Amino acid sequence: MKTAALRHDVHEQIEQIGQADIVVGIPSYNSAKTIGHVVRAVQAGLAKYFPNYKAVLVNSDGGSSDGTVDVVQNTTIEDFGSILLKHRTEPMYKMAFPYSGIPGKGSAFRAVFAIAEGLNAKACAVVDSDLRSITPEWLELLITPVLENDFDYIAPLYHRHKYDGTITNSIVYPLTRALYGKRVRQPIGGDFGFSGKLAQFYLTKDVWDTDVARFGIDIWMTTTALANGFRVAQSFLGAKIHDAKDPGSDLSDMLYQVVSATFGLMDGYAEQWMAIENSQAVPTFGFEYSVGLEPVKVNTARMIDFFREGIVNLHEIWLSILGAGDLREVERLGALNDSEFHFPIALWTRVVYDYAIAFHQRKLSPEHLIKSLTPLYLGKTASFILEAEHMDAHEAEAEIEKLCQEFESSKSYLVTNWK
Amino acid sequence: MSDFLNLILEPLQQLFHKLEEFAPNFLAMLVILLAGILFAWLLRKLVIKLLDTLQFDSWSDRKGFTTLMRKGDMWGKPSLLAGAFVFWVTVIVALMTGLSALNINAIDQLVSQFFVYLPRAFSAILILGIGYIFAGFVSRAVLISAVNSGYHYAKLLAEAIRILLTTLILAMVMEQLQIAPGIVLAAFTIICGGIVLALSISFGVGGIDAARRVIERQATREDQEPEKEDIQHL
Repeated sequence: MKTAALRHDVHEQIEQIGQADIVVGIPSYNSAKTIGHVVRAVQAGLAKYFPNYKAVLVNSDGGSSDGTVDVVQNTTIEDFGSILLKHRTEPMYKMAFPYSGIPGKGSAFRAVFAIAEGLNAKACAVVDSDLRSITPEWLELLITPVLENDFDYIAPLYHRHKYDGTITNSIVYPLTRALYGKRVRQPIGGDFGFSGKLAQFYLTKDVWDTDVARFGIDIWMTTTALANGFRVAQSFLGAKIHDAKDPGSDLSDMLYQVVSATFGLMDGYAEQWMAIENSQAVPTFGFEYSVGLEPVKVNTARMIDFFREGIVNLHEIWLSILGAGDLREVERLGALNDSEFHFPIALWTRVVYDYAIAFHQRKLSPEHLIKSLTPLYLGKTASFILEAEHMDAHEAEAEIEKLCQEFESSKSYLVTNWK
Repeated sequence: MSDFLNLILEPLQQLFHKLEEFAPNFLAMLVILLAGILFAWLLRKLVIKLLDTLQFDSWSDRKGFTTLMRKGDMWGKPSLLAGAFVFWVTVIVALMTGLSALNINAIDQLVSQFFVYLPRAFSAILILGIGYIFAGFVSRAVLISAVNSGYHYAKLLAEAIRILLTTLILAMVMEQLQIAPGIVLAAFTIICGGIVLALSISFGVGGIDAARRVIERQATREDQEPEKEDIQHL
């Protein structure tokens, strides 16, 4: 079946290949420095774990100007023997092309879904092009549960520094878990496995001209799988180390992209999540092990300063979103010394729920609304970092677990106020 | 005696003839006015019902129109205000149309001037409405961006931008209404030029040290490698 998501030459390549068992997608944009390693890891993973499956590696590129596509085309593992691999019995194909549609990771993924549909693939995986820690085992962990255990969606599970991934830890994970009742620890991990059936289901959704195509694809994929009853699991992949972008430089943009995508999906799936209470663990694949992580430099005093600036300047906006009671609580936090600073989890839960309700009720323009959350988020992040300073990874994770339980137990507040 | 009676009756007859000529016109004016009032009343009901269906009051609350009304000492619902506005505009149009039925030269001129002015009034109202929303939006965007960039005087900056935009919009409205356009343009130019000049002088004369510190700090910052946080929020 031809789809408008693909160019004519890509259709020709699909026709030449005919059918494939596995499709692995790598979305990219100016990733020439890192994509070679990712391609080699994917090739090795497919050779080592799926030698009897016909596989296609797809590089869906956003018009890179640094020769990313050439790197993909020219990267091969010359000597499989040196990495203890036998030669494949089934061929492995490679496709690298610029995707069609509005620029963004979602459009790149759409092309991968379309190719999976065109090749009638059984299982697919997508991995980021800037990964430095990807190993061939990632392919096994993302694809085998789909091929052999009939799962439809495999989310990643990484070991990360206790201070990293704070948007996930303090907003997206607790909220997704409380809403849809499944404990998917990394709902926006970026590296996923999924069935051909789910890829086809994604293509039926009319979202490819929206923000999903630009930046909201990760949470959209996870939420769509959860809310539509697909079988979901997660696989432990080890550490996630990727090419460092300038962290914190565009925090409010990042927050807007992730949180608006999450809140936007709440509107569409309100009927489903309103009926759900509590949460269940999802099956986890892979052998968990501890990972040595680089220390992370943070400046909590600066974060608390941003929080206090928010109290001074955003009073009216916060009042319209949080109400007088919770705003008073927030203002009380602003008066605390840095050493005593502590953002209670119950208050943070209500803040996130109030913002979700305000987003639903269109109280402000979505961008203004969510960007006004930035100082509150920094306050919560500073509080977590101060509390977790002397904790090991397990203790820090237990704190996140407490927050998740608070989100679940306070869900009635969200349901009651959702009009 | 008969001549004397004629002298009295003739003006009365003329008055009667004039009244006879004027009465149908007056009646027509009354009919137009009454029909206009009835139509305005129906239109008001219709507008209120439509705005209720569209949840205009909630939208106004969110967009700050309700707050603006309260500041202007208007305490009714925004939909009722919109209904009242439509009612009175329709009544005024009906009154003007009715007056033109009297066929009096002076009134005809007034009516034609009113209808020529009407599009200007509407476009002024439109400029005011859109301008108010635009000024609020830009001011809020500046406020949030400035806070998220750690700028200490975010509120002051946002408020200054809102006042500047509101002044510009009011000047445009007055220019549209042709209210002393020359004076408005001159006043606007003087105010804007004055603000820029005042800022330049106050910063240039009073803030030499501050300016030096800002420039030195900037230069020092460029020399030093900025201390970056490693935390990855995603």
